[in-house]
Amino acid sequence: MPDAALAEKTIELKILRYRPASDAEPAFGSFTVPYTDDMSVLQGLQTIKDTLDGTLSFRWSCRMAVCGSCGMMINGTPRLACNTFLRNLLPGPVTIEPLNNFPIERDLVVSVGDFVKKIESIYPYIIPREPKTIEEGPYLQTPAQLAAYESFSDCINCMLCYAACPQFGENPDFIGPGAMALLQRYNGDSRDGGRLKRIDAISGDNGVWSCTAVGICSDVCPKNVDPANAVNQNKTNSAFDFFLRFLRKEDAQ
Amino acid sequence: MSEKRPFTRPIASDWWAHPPYRAYTVRELSGVAVAVYGAVLFVGLVSLWRGPDSYGAFLRFLKSPVSILLNLVLLAAVLYHVVTWFQILPKTMPKLIVDGKQVPQARITTLVLRAVGFGAVCLVLLTIGFAR
Repeated sequence: MPDAALAEKTIELKILRYRPASDAEPAFGSFTVPYTDDMSVLQGLQTIKDTLDGTLSFRWSCRMAVCGSCGMMINGTPRLACNTFLRNLLPGPVTIEPLNNFPIERDLVVSVGDFVKKIESIYPYIIPREPKTIEEGPYLQTPAQLAAYESFSDCINCMLCYAACPQFGENPDFIGPGAMALLQRYNGDSRDGGRLKRIDAISGDNGVWSCTAVGICSDVCPKNVDPANAVNQNKTNSAFDFFLRFLRKEDAQ
Repeated sequence: MSEKRPFTRPIASDWWAHPPYRAYTVRELSGVAVAVYGAVLFVGLVSLWRGPDSYGAFLRFLKSPVSILLNLVLLAAVLYHVVTWFQILPKTMPKLIVDGKQVPQARITTLVLRAVGFGAVCLVLLTIGFAR
């Protein structure tokens, strides 16, 4: 990390704090940190934890927009703290809150249990259309077949899209943009044959029809996954399945 | 002892009134203009069915300043609705792959809007031609 001690400039970070053992409800705490031009918001938080207040809690791991751990509301917008730079937020103060629409566990840490359950519910793995033995060779795919789902495979589960989704805010059981992007990553894969296993997640009470095409989920996505595309093309799939379900040979599972 | 006591912040009841959600709200409300436009046409049809006097009254209403102002406002709102509708169109369809590459969504919107604009102009010209 850059040597914050050498920095001459400072910026104020207003952070929503919540310590469940002592606080009845979250409240803002203010910290003034030295910064350099190459410092991210995450590095600002690390500076606070190292030098000002060791009790500040936040998740992080990779520091390079790959792990999806450091999602938080920065000046009201869901962003990854590691790829948001303090130099772009001048003169401050910068408001930092835990992700919207999720229960707060402590400071900037939110509960992810429900999201993980949703991910598990959509069969997030390839269910081979035609099972092959190793001797029969690999499952081949053309570049066009790859392009059909590739963006959806870039999801890093950072949950920024959920924090941006007002329908998820109104109904926490809504399957949501992230899980639907992952679902489409597998449904859209030419090697996969698990569509009927995943149809309930699409068409059920908390499936894609809870979406009203607000579209901000795709705007805030740091990996250009376009979850709004995944959700809304599955409205078409859901409608087709409703009318054509009598023609298919297998039942949904 | 566990300190676990998750705190749920309620979603602001006026989320739809503020950016970035305001554009969505305006887009959805512009759909009301489409319905009002349809209602005006429907009233015209009913008055045509009721006879010449009724239809004449409807035409006089259309020529009144209030109606012209209403139609200008409705036209603007409907045009906004059309443009935003086609901006969402690429989100509602599978990725369009040509030569192994995804066609950019903005390109789809532009092409479809041009086609729709061309069709609309043809329809207006045809209608004017028939009316003569």
